[in-house]
Formats: sequence, C-alpha cells, structure tokens
Amino acid sequence: MFYQTKLRSITLIAALIFLACYASFGSYFAREIVVEIIILAILAISLDLCAGFGGMVSLCHGAMMGVAAYGFAIMSAKLGWPLFPSALIGLFAAVVFSGLVGWVTSRTNGIFFIMATLAFGQMAYTFFFKSRWLGGDDGFGGISRFDLNMIGLETNDSLVFTYIGLVILLLAYGLTAIVMRSGFGRTLSGIHVNEDRMKALGVNTAAHRAKAMAFSGFIAGLAGIIAAQHTLYISPELLIWTTSGEALIVVILGGLGTLVGPIIGAILLVLMKHEISNYTDYWHAFIGLVLIFTVLAGGRGVFGQIEYWFNKLTQKHQSTTKPHGDDHA
Amino acid sequence: MTGSFWAAFFLAPMFVTLIGAVLYFTLIDRMRTAGPMNQVLVTFGLIFVFLDLVRMGWGDIALGLDGPASLSGTTRLLGVDYPAYRLFIIALGLGVMATMWLVLARTQIGAMIRASVENTNMAAALGINVSKLFFLVFCFGCALAGLAGVAAAPILSATTTMGITILIPTLIVVVIGGLGSLEGAIVGSVIIGFMETFGAVMIPSFSAVLTYALLAVVLIWRPQGLIPARG
Repeated sequence: MFYQTKLRSITLIAALIFLACYASFGSYFAREIVVEIIILAILAISLDLCAGFGGMVSLCHGAMMGVAAYGFAIMSAKLGWPLFPSALIGLFAAVVFSGLVGWVTSRTNGIFFIMATLAFGQMAYTFFFKSRWLGGDDGFGGISRFDLNMIGLETNDSLVFTYIGLVILLLAYGLTAIVMRSGFGRTLSGIHVNEDRMKALGVNTAAHRAKAMAFSGFIAGLAGIIAAQHTLYISPELLIWTTSGEALIVVILGGLGTLVGPIIGAILLVLMKHEISNYTDYWHAFIGLVLIFTVLAGGRGVFGQIEYWFNKLTQKHQSTTKPHGDDHA
Repeated sequence: MTGSFWAAFFLAPMFVTLIGAVLYFTLIDRMRTAGPMNQVLVTFGLIFVFLDLVRMGWGDIALGLDGPASLSGTTRLLGVDYPAYRLFIIALGLGVMATMWLVLARTQIGAMIRASVENTNMAAALGINVSKLFFLVFCFGCALAGLAGVAAAPILSATTTMGITILIPTLIVVVIGGLGSLEGAIVGSVIIGFMETFGAVMIPSFSAVLTYALLAVVLIWRPQGLIPARG
C-alpha cells in the first residue's frame, strides 16, 4: 500500500529542486539531459504503478508511451489538428492500447505476463516500423510544441520547456500517488498480494488489472507527449522493448513501489549514461552490471534502501509507538 | 581460427556451456528461487553485458560463416532442388527433438528431471540431487543454444544483435506452445514458422502483425498455452 511519508515528500521536492537548478544554471545540453530525465521518470512512475503495486512487470510501457506520441504527432503534424486536442487524442490512444493489452493479458501472471506484454509492445513497434505513411524506420518530424504565449510562456525556449516538463512530472507523481492511495490503488495492491482472496471478496480482478494498465497508459502517454514535443520528431525507437527495459531498470535502480524511487532512478541512470559515454561506447555493459548488483544486493534500489534504513532507525527510536505499515518489497 | 565449420560445430556449444556453467555458479543458482521479476532483471543485465562484450571482441559488423563444403550444394528431393544445408538443419532439429523426447520421457534421468520440476522438495527427499540435476539441465540448454547459433550462422550471418532478434520469436513460441512442455515448443515453432513464411508471401502487409495477433488469441483463449506442461 502506498503512503506519502515525510521522507518521500522531502526526497521528491529535493529531486525536483535539483533538476530545476541543474537546468537553470547549466548549459543548453544540461537542459536536454533534464528533459530526458523527466521523460524517463514519468515513464518509470507509470511502470512502478503496474509493477510495484499491481505486480504486473510490463515490458510494453515504451510502446504505451510511443502510441501516445504517435497519436499526438499524427493528429497535429499529419492531419493538422490543433495541438491540445491532438495531445488528448494521443493520451486516449495510449489508454485504449494499454487497456486492451491489460485486458488480454489479465489472466496471465509472472513470466507469462512479462513475455506477453513484451510481445504486444513489439507488435506496436512493428506496426509503426512498417508503416510507410508514418515514415517507417525514419519516423517523421514537423511536430510543434504547445503555444502558451497567451499566458506568457515561450515553449520553444529550452528552459521554459524544461520547467513545464518538471510541472508535468510533479502532476504525474501526484495523480499516481492519489490513485494509489485511493480504494482503487488498495484493491490493486490486494490483487498483487493475494489474487484469489480478492476474487473471493467479489472483486473482478481481471477488469481491475486492465483498468490499472489503462491508467498506467495515461501516465506513460504524458511522457510520450513530452518526448514528441521535446525533439519535435518521432521514430519507432520510442516503442522498442529496450525503452521499456530501460524504464524497468530505472524502477529497480530507484526502488520498486515507492513512486519517488523511479525519479531518483531516472536521475541516476541518465547522468550515469552521459558520464560513462564520455569515456567509452560500452556503457550498456556498465548499466547491466549495476542492475545485476542492485538485484543481488536485495533488490530494494537506492531510494528503497534508504527508506529501509530510515524506517529501521526511526523504529528503534520510537519502539513504543506503532510501527510503520510494511512497504512493498 | 581454423575456418572449419565442423570444429565450430562442436567447439561453440562447448564454449557456450562453459560460459553457462560459470554464470550458473555466480548468478543463476541464486536466482532460482528469486521470482520471475528478479530473474528477468538479472537476465536483462546479462544481455546488456554480453552484447557489449561481443561488440568489444568482434565489432559491429556482421560476420559471415561458410557452411561445410560437403553440404554446400543442393539435393533433389521430391522433384525440387533444395539446399543441402537447410535439409541438414531440419534433420538436426528433428534429431535434437527426438533425443530430448527420448531422454525426458523414457530414461531415469528424464524422470528425475520431471520429478524435480514438479516438486523440488519431494524429489530432494527421495534422494535426487536437485541442484546438480538443474545444473546439468542448464548446461545442456546452453549447449543447445550454442548449437542453434552455429547452425544459424551460415544462413543468417553472425551479428551482435542476433541474440535480441531471435529472443522475441522464441518467447512467442514458448508462450503459444505452453511453458515447460517440449511438445508445446515443437507445435509453437511449427505454427509460428509456417505463419511467418506463408504470411510474408500471401498477405505481406499484414504478416508482421500476424504472429502477435495469434499470440493474443492464444492468450485469451488458452492462457496456459496450447499444450501446457502437465501437473
């Protein structure tokens, strides 16, 4: 179950301030990195809500994000619709796609679910990859950013765009946190812990899991809209399964089922990637080793480990008060 | 490099088995009880590491490998000229399938493997050294993967991404056929192979999505696969 603890709030605010400072005082390149972090963090939050709370380790989140990006780009750049309705249609497409995948896979568990979502993600990837109208392998450009001049924001300025991205990241976090704290989120956690018992309580667990996937698709779609507007160009690269894999690495690296962890994980992964690729072309191998180490070290992730130590410490101090609710491992 | 296909044919599976054995003792043995999520993650990490190791050693360029000279021609079969090497692969596949079925279904070690998969604790209580057995099974699996790599190299040419390219169809075959069932793997690969080949010829625009559509149908209709493992 999700609790917005003080530690989580403080870490969240600290992370956002760090990103804002990094963008404000850094060069144009630093802002590019921050936007990259924001996109990955939102995608990882979306995955965390499936994997951490629902126990659904999905490998099609890249595709969910990509479907939203393509939906938005097709409506705005190809069909000439205004930007905001296009974005809504992109999000809607992602929700429908994720809901369908969730519905089809709702009866599978464990490794079957992982494989099935992997296959459906690749299906979406193949679809866009083969589509000549959408540029196939090359993707297409001609996408524009939201026009917010009426409230005095020039989105083509990289700093303003980064700030808007940070606000959307905060919104995505807040929305996910509220939903995970609601009855819906608690039911989802219940299904994760004991699906048979939830069935016995009269919950339609398959439908509930499909709905959770659809909501996760909405959050992933937000990342997709930012990604399309960031580079003003999209390609099937967004949907390929390694994008989902990267999001999964971020979730694990940061801490599964914490929602704050994915943000920390995204910061660490992107910064590591850029630092290491300065020295060697083979940064993937390093990320792989970090991932293996994280899992072997207990799989709590960086933030999860800090939270674990913090809880132990505070419980020692106040052994008379009621202990904290057990967090998801 | 001796340039001999038959040397590669035997050395590559042995080399892959060796890597597999090292991995087993360092990682996989620990991951056996860790749940699917952690297993996938560690495998993921390994994919990243090995992909880059291969790129470091052999570069990004595809390497061609000539098949053995004795199998380079064509054979006349039922009035059709068919490449001898492809016939050899078909025979090899049938041979591996038959051997595995015989070992699993008809020998004592096969019975021990099936018992250990079904109920690890009970098998151990009956005196089966489960971890040693699983180690052997894993090594054998690695050897088969190495064999598949050698057999495929003359047709597909060896690239750094061939591991990733083959992964998705393999997973689809396993899910459609049913996890942990040899018959399922056979039926699944035959279905997928036929659909990909005939789909590409008859409905080219739709063929890429065809296998995924089949996967969706199977998952809705029979989530455990067409021929699930017994028990």
